[in-house]
Amino acid sequence: MPEQEGNAQATAGNKRDFRRYLRREAVILALLSALAVIFFVAVTALSHIYEAQQEFLGNRWFLRGAADLKQSHFESAVTEFRAALLYARDSYTYQLNLAEALVGLKRTAEAYAYFINLWDREPENGLVNLELARIAAQKGETEQALRYYHNAIYATWPGDQQVQRRDTRLELIEYLLNIDAKAHAQAELIALAANLEDDPVQQSRVGDLFLQAQDYEHALGEYRLSLKAEPHDPTALAGAGFSAFQLGRYSLAESYLQAAVSANPNDAQSAARLRTAALVMQMDPFQRQISVALRDRIVLKAFAAAGQRLESCSSAGAAKGPATIPVAQPGLTEEWAKMEPRITELGLRRDPDLVNTAMELVFSIERQTSNACGAASETDAALLLIARLHESN
Amino acid sequence: VDIPPNPSDATLVEERRPTPALPFLGRAPEAFMRLVFREDRFFLVLSVFIGIFAGLSVVCFRFAIAWCRIYLLGSGATLTPLRMVLAPSLAGLFIAVLVIHVFPLARGSGVNQTKAALYIYNGYIPLRTAVGKFITAALAIGSGHSLGPEDPSLQIGASLASALGRRMRLSRDRMRLIAPVGAAAGLAAAFNAPISAVLFVIEEVIGRWTAGILGSVVLSAVSSVVVMRWFLGSESMFRIPAVQMERPSELIAYSVLGIVGGLASVAFSSGIATLRPWCKALPRWTQYFQPAIAGLLIGIIAVLGAPQVMGAGYVYIDEAMHGQFTWQMLAILAGLKIIATLLSFVSGTPGGMFAPTLFIGAMLGAAVGGAEHVLFPHLSGSPGTYALVGMGVLFAGFLRAPMTSVFMVLEVSGNYSIILPVLIANTFAYLISRGLQPTAIFDVLTRQDGLELPSMEEQREEGTLRVEDAMRPASRAVLDTVLEAHDSLDQVLQRWDAKLPEVRLVRLDPTGWSIITRQALEIMVKEGKGNLTLGSALSGRQILFLHPDNPLETALRYVDRWPLLPVVNRADFRKLEGVISQQDVLQRYQLFGEEEGTPE
Repeated sequence: MPEQEGNAQATAGNKRDFRRYLRREAVILALLSALAVIFFVAVTALSHIYEAQQEFLGNRWFLRGAADLKQSHFESAVTEFRAALLYARDSYTYQLNLAEALVGLKRTAEAYAYFINLWDREPENGLVNLELARIAAQKGETEQALRYYHNAIYATWPGDQQVQRRDTRLELIEYLLNIDAKAHAQAELIALAANLEDDPVQQSRVGDLFLQAQDYEHALGEYRLSLKAEPHDPTALAGAGFSAFQLGRYSLAESYLQAAVSANPNDAQSAARLRTAALVMQMDPFQRQISVALRDRIVLKAFAAAGQRLESCSSAGAAKGPATIPVAQPGLTEEWAKMEPRITELGLRRDPDLVNTAMELVFSIERQTSNACGAASETDAALLLIARLHESN
Repeated sequence: VDIPPNPSDATLVEERRPTPALPFLGRAPEAFMRLVFREDRFFLVLSVFIGIFAGLSVVCFRFAIAWCRIYLLGSGATLTPLRMVLAPSLAGLFIAVLVIHVFPLARGSGVNQTKAALYIYNGYIPLRTAVGKFITAALAIGSGHSLGPEDPSLQIGASLASALGRRMRLSRDRMRLIAPVGAAAGLAAAFNAPISAVLFVIEEVIGRWTAGILGSVVLSAVSSVVVMRWFLGSESMFRIPAVQMERPSELIAYSVLGIVGGLASVAFSSGIATLRPWCKALPRWTQYFQPAIAGLLIGIIAVLGAPQVMGAGYVYIDEAMHGQFTWQMLAILAGLKIIATLLSFVSGTPGGMFAPTLFIGAMLGAAVGGAEHVLFPHLSGSPGTYALVGMGVLFAGFLRAPMTSVFMVLEVSGNYSIILPVLIANTFAYLISRGLQPTAIFDVLTRQDGLELPSMEEQREEGTLRVEDAMRPASRAVLDTVLEAHDSLDQVLQRWDAKLPEVRLVRLDPTGWSIITRQALEIMVKEGKGNLTLGSALSGRQILFLHPDNPLETALRYVDRWPLLPVVNRADFRKLEGVISQQDVLQRYQLFGEEEGTPE
């Protein structure tokens, strides 16, 4: 019996202990929750102070850096942007500016590391893509450069997107022209021209690029557009004249070049081209709407000029040594000498086919002497251009 | 064999029928309270609170370090030479006074103090340690001493948890565990990497996996990381670069990194093992000046062109990962950081070695990667990849936490494709470090402090004795002694001659085993039970059986209850593989002790 009583007491004691435990733990849990809330609020307040200070310091260093970057003080800009990043490590703007400053310092590898990270974060950022394209172009990584240039063209830009994209494409075209990728450059230029606004300066610039890419037809088109707005722009006139000249449209070239020289008398290149174009017009016996007599006189003049050219080239070749004399030249001299008695006004009038034969010989002589002896007189240059013109026709 | 009833069962039966505290609500509230407040469940709830408090403390600790840095070294990226020399020196002097007179326990490794709390002090870590560690480590790191915030965070978490546990009056078992739970929370918040923190605490502090421990540690780590991210954001410590490995042959390059990292780890840990006792042996008055002198030397290193060695150095790890240093510079920085960290740590300045380890690893990794790129330009790994792998390498080689090192890199990088390089490089580093420096750095430090804490690495490496190592195999002689259930008691007694052992195993049907002694058999026969079969006579007297792969410790628990135990096949419980007795077990342990040598 006493044992049973003892057990009952122990059981009651256990129950009391357990209830006390439950009450105590519940109170503790409530206290812990309250304490956690209090600490949380306190740390939140502290965090606000901390963040405000971090933001202030970050901004302060960033503004200093930006000012230095503007003045091209790249060294101090880098230090200041780095300091700014200590307070906002992930700030896109700070990193971008730091990378720009590093580019300014020509620390391309470091800049590249930042740009590539920024690219990972925002692959559609135009500036980052453009900078990466420039770095890749510097490194000679054409494929990468083209990829980033194209990304930049279709990327998002702050401010006027159209202008930024156009400028990027212009930069890409210049890069393509530098690496002699003319076909690719022409394609980009056509895309650029399609989206160009009515800005004569831009149109003229695109015309220049078309010229560099040897797309004279499009170049002429752009210059013409530019000249609609600015009819007396000497650059556009000269460009249009040169394009027309290259296309063999000498009459048009003559008029543009004439206007270009009038607008800018110091433009010696256009003046020389104008003279050549005029000569081409004068020396071409196959022009329409000229009399037979004039045609015959042109042929006589051209034949004589070819003979002189042959002679001067032979003597220059002889002076330099036998090795420089072209193989075909002796045959041409013989042929010219053989034909020379027949090339008279009378001979040409009697045999109209002789015009063609004579001019063919003239063209052959001009071509071969041009290859062997290089630059010739303006008349020879004109004859050569006429030869090319009729060759293509 | 009779199994006595558990004496506490009666009490439990009583407790299952408590009188409701609030009669009008019936038993529901009390049942709910019981469900929640059972100690093991309450411990889980408490772990969440520990995580919250540890997370909040670590956030404050980070603020404190940042403020110390701004006010002591300046807010700019470029530091003035005067500040670089004066800040760590004067802060060192102040820290020494605080550590010697106010917070003596703030010195030393937080990992070891947590282990000491677990194994020696029943979970006790004074709250003053947390306060001391907070103040002194923030000052030290903020002033430019080459130390990191992770170990102090770990200790702050452990100390807070211990204080909370004491208030809760938890049982001794829970109290012991509470410090590691807090440590995991502190480390997770400091690293912003809960998985690594959990693994590290399990791998290096607790040393064993159980559902209860894992649950508490995970809950505290996760809650602390949530709190930390709430305030400081979820960005990882570094901007993670793109990780790539084009050819499997590149693993050779990472192996080289593992070897170099292993050697660097040995140099680093040997430096600590040699210099720390030397510094401690100097006259007591020098302890006032040791942190200041360390600070002065670090300042001089910084003024001479390597300010990167000051502080935790996460900014520079980030820069190294993104190719902003040449490989030569990276190698120099790795070497100088080893020196700077040695100076700070052996001088007794409070602070951790995690961040310096990561710094050294990142620099070394990127340097090795850079040098390999010069020699073999076709290698595809970026400096960032090598830096990440390098961090894991030093973690494995220096801190000797191979599992944590792998997961840490995975967690930090968030990239699974880095796993092969990390595994290969870490394995090399770990093996080299272990081969050249048999004692892990945490064990070196505890032994230098005069403590003998269990070494987790040694425990992992310790050979485990199994039942098969001690049992007598089932030879013909043994099998001949086994009795079958269908034999009658009379038959058995008649055949039991003097040459046979006194105790014999009985194979019961369908499965199960029992034993019988000759004396017991004689008594039963005398009682007139001779015509009974052994099976019916011994029913209800089954004994435990073991399997060959059971740990010998398991056998030790039962061999004193029965003179002989059967060791049976796992696929066929009736098939005897051997027998084992208490004598066999003790003999095997004796032999094992002779093989291993007597521990110190």
